[in-house]
Amino acid sequence: MQGGAVSGAGTLALDDAASRLRARFGDDLLEVTEQHGHLAVSVTPARYHDVCRFVRDEPEFDCDYADFTTGVDRGDDGGFEVVTHVFSTTHHHNVRVKVTLPHDEPAVATVSDLWATCDWHERETAEMFGIRFEGHPQPVKLLLSEPFEGHPLRKDFALMTREAKPWPGASEGEEDDEA
Amino acid sequence: MGVITEKTALPRIQPVKFILNWGRRYSLWVMNFGLACCAIEFIAASTAKNDFIRLGVIPTAHGPRQADLLVVAGTLTDKMAPALKRVYEQMPDPKYVISFGSCSNCGGPYWDSYSVTKGVDQIVPIDVYVPGCPPRPEALLHGILELQRKIKDEDIAEKFGGPASAAF
Repeated sequence: MQGGAVSGAGTLALDDAASRLRARFGDDLLEVTEQHGHLAVSVTPARYHDVCRFVRDEPEFDCDYADFTTGVDRGDDGGFEVVTHVFSTTHHHNVRVKVTLPHDEPAVATVSDLWATCDWHERETAEMFGIRFEGHPQPVKLLLSEPFEGHPLRKDFALMTREAKPWPGASEGEEDDEA
Repeated sequence: MGVITEKTALPRIQPVKFILNWGRRYSLWVMNFGLACCAIEFIAASTAKNDFIRLGVIPTAHGPRQADLLVVAGTLTDKMAPALKRVYEQMPDPKYVISFGSCSNCGGPYWDSYSVTKGVDQIVPIDVYVPGCPPRPEALLHGILELQRKIKDEDIAEKFGGPASAAF
């Protein structure tokens, strides 16, 4: 890569990308925004796999490299978000595909058939958040031991040590008050 | 050394005990159970500047079966704990364990983690704890010297046989 700043969305203009996606997916496309210079696409769970396939195969997107898949716990009302971050090695742009799932029995289609990288990332997301990836070739735990119960990255997961001894340091936000 | 065991009365004789302990403490073949950054400090302690080999700690054990000393250096997770137990059980007696670094001592910065074992002493008996995060190589040297001091005063018959066999 040559010196100098790499332009945020690479050769992918936000307006063009949004209109192309909208033309293809219509109302199933909930939101197209630019975050940190990357294209962020929110879709309905039903079309998540299709959108992923689209950004991989369409020559303008050509996202042939999966960076990561992860989950976000948005709390009781917000449900879970599954985020898949992909990158194009030809155009040098990043695309994030997001899908929001309900807190009860969250499930979404696997994209490990599109990018093999997502196989392990989905296994980790599954064990950490309790999200089921339908059609995953090997839906077993990746990092945690097999007898482990619960999903540790969920907000409502109780840390036993913290039950006995509360967090001794500053909590989020308190640092700002002191300043 | 294998001829004289804890079953023999010989180690109770003071000069023999002295020689046995002297031999044991200066030929500690070490197994590095490196789990995190502490393992790098262990390696630093073995190289030219600090050089624990001059204390008789020889880091060339081909496996636990050749080792006298186990140094648990790093963060032990619950998933890894059975492997540590197995390595310890494969080591021949007499064997010693140094817990190196805050993580293996008590969980360290991962004190509230869902996956980290809070203290290796829950899995294997520890002879010397070396504090630090990570401890400097000098701290390991100190730990080794402390262990050697312990071995010097050790009574093998007492260690393995308990009060009954200590009577002979």
